[in-house]
Amino acid sequence: MANIMAGNKGFSGIFKKKEKEPTLSEVKLTRKEKRERFKKRLECLTPEEQRYLKRKQLVEAVWPIFRGVIVFGLCFIILYPLIFMISSAFRPSSDMNDPTIMWIPKHLTLSNLKDVIKAMNFWETLGNTLVLNIGCSLVQVATCAVTGYGFARYQFKGKKILFFVVIMMILVPPQIILIPQYMFFRYFNPLWIYNAITGDYINLINTAVTMYLPALTANGLRAGLFIFLFRQSFRGLPKELEDAAALDGCSPFTAFIRVMVPNAGSTFLTVFLFSIVWYWNDYYVSTSFFTENETIALTLKNLSANIKVLVFGDANAQVNTREIIVWMESACLISILPILVLYICLQKNFTEGIARSGLTGM
Amino acid sequence: MKRLNLSYEKKKGLYGYGFIALWFVGALMFFIVPLIKSFYYSFHVVTPETGYLDIKPLVDNLTGKTNIFLNYKNAFMTDPNFRQYLVEVLKDMALNLPVIVVFSLFVAIIINQKFRGRTFARAVFFLPVIIATGPVYAIITGDLDTGGNSEAAQFSTMFEADMVDQLLEFIGIYGFGTTFTEMLTEITSDILNLVWKCGIQIIIFLSALQGIPASAKEAAAIEGATSWEFFWKITLPYISPMILVNIVYTVIDAFTDPTNKVMERLLSVQNEWKYGYSAAMAWSYFGIILVALGIIFAIMNKLVWYDD
Repeated sequence: MANIMAGNKGFSGIFKKKEKEPTLSEVKLTRKEKRERFKKRLECLTPEEQRYLKRKQLVEAVWPIFRGVIVFGLCFIILYPLIFMISSAFRPSSDMNDPTIMWIPKHLTLSNLKDVIKAMNFWETLGNTLVLNIGCSLVQVATCAVTGYGFARYQFKGKKILFFVVIMMILVPPQIILIPQYMFFRYFNPLWIYNAITGDYINLINTAVTMYLPALTANGLRAGLFIFLFRQSFRGLPKELEDAAALDGCSPFTAFIRVMVPNAGSTFLTVFLFSIVWYWNDYYVSTSFFTENETIALTLKNLSANIKVLVFGDANAQVNTREIIVWMESACLISILPILVLYICLQKNFTEGIARSGLTGM
Repeated sequence: MKRLNLSYEKKKGLYGYGFIALWFVGALMFFIVPLIKSFYYSFHVVTPETGYLDIKPLVDNLTGKTNIFLNYKNAFMTDPNFRQYLVEVLKDMALNLPVIVVFSLFVAIIINQKFRGRTFARAVFFLPVIIATGPVYAIITGDLDTGGNSEAAQFSTMFEADMVDQLLEFIGIYGFGTTFTEMLTEITSDILNLVWKCGIQIIIFLSALQGIPASAKEAAAIEGATSWEFFWKITLPYISPMILVNIVYTVIDAFTDPTNKVMERLLSVQNEWKYGYSAAMAWSYFGIILVALGIIFAIMNKLVWYDD
């Protein structure tokens, strides 16, 4: 009987949690006890050490509150325009001048949104933009990666000068070279013989080629920066990878595709994301190559005239910015929504890529 | 067929050319040639005709002689706005640069600490990078001209606070030298919205902060360094190279921003079909910025401390 009891005890013991010896920091003390312990500790120290500990305790108590206020405040400042955007996108224009309305409109309406979608020809423009953006970004990532790899791993004559050109691509503002580029596309002369044969030029303005061709040759939007990022990230990978591939009989290009690309996956994703964002946002370069509203950014830039036609019936109507702001804000909202969703889903890839592969270790 | 007898090194070099060949062709078409062309334009009168650009030498109306530097001379001497805008942009940059760098360092140190909601805060601080390059930003800051209606007041939906005015009045200072208060308001009027320009800088500082070796932290803790001392003696030296990187980044970012005044003036000159003149403006602007960057680099490079 006693045996059974003992066995039982042992058996239930398995399920019982082992009680650990509580460590010093885990012991729950009342405030009073804590204070007393602290005092006792202080007594064995020199006055200098006492002062240090006291100050440290004070800082540790006050700082989190201070920090919380700062972080919250700054987040609010950043998010303020977005909150305002959401708040005003769904309110009728008349509610804008109602001083009793701060954030939550009295009447919710979807009519702004409907107007804007009509004025922007939104779905078609969105389709265009997505195709153009994703296409250009994919092409650009591939070409920039190849170029970056060339600069990262190979020694050849003139490398320094050529890399200086890459740096210049980052430094030179696009405005300087925009006109010659425009002339290049307006009077496109393939291989410099097309004109000699036909006596004519090809007009590429308003075609997607103006975006694809630079991307295809690693000269698209901010390509210099992307080449730089890729170079940094490939330089960070061990050389033994390619040596092993070469011993196994890979040609350098196969080695690049098979070995280096999979190892630099995060850089590829980062560059791709940034490329998408910058193509999405670009209105400065594309406005000189597209005279029609082809992309979301261009439509948004020229929106106010369209809205005026649609809502007030006249493109030159003298309308106060405050009256038209609800339409502008809802247009902004639907224009950044895709990018915002992308950012929220892949937030870590945006920041970590920059931090890891990026400018560190210049 | 005779096989080429190349050393391994030379072969590798050829492969290097192979890897960058595509980019080089593109750079020639879209960067180097346009760059040289625009430099050439800047010394000439360039007007667009159907099928080509009409390029004529510059003739000084007063003397009747050709003067290839006339575009540059006009930009600086006779243009009513260019010099003023240039000074404004440079002044803005000089004022904003320290604020941006100090501020992003401050934010990076805060976000580097462990607290609840850190991931969220990080996401929010980087958010402006996603938005701030596009037309949405121009609309919410009220920068975008709303379609020929230039009379309309600029309507910004950014966070605004006349902090300094209120603060000074709160302390009881009213007429404390108008230029001084004006300058202060100028700096602080959009100081809060500089947060919008700090995204990348914060991330760069953050990764630098995480690169400070744990041994240095431990040593400082054992020696009983206060966090103030820790910042000056440990943090700052370790991240000083990144301060330089951030300064360069900030300058380039501010200067290639299409919404700054010089850029806007450039665009308006281009829209008047004065291509040569706008090229001259662009090149002098570029030159000035390069000099500014050079000076910053020379000064900072002496202050930077490298680990090895």
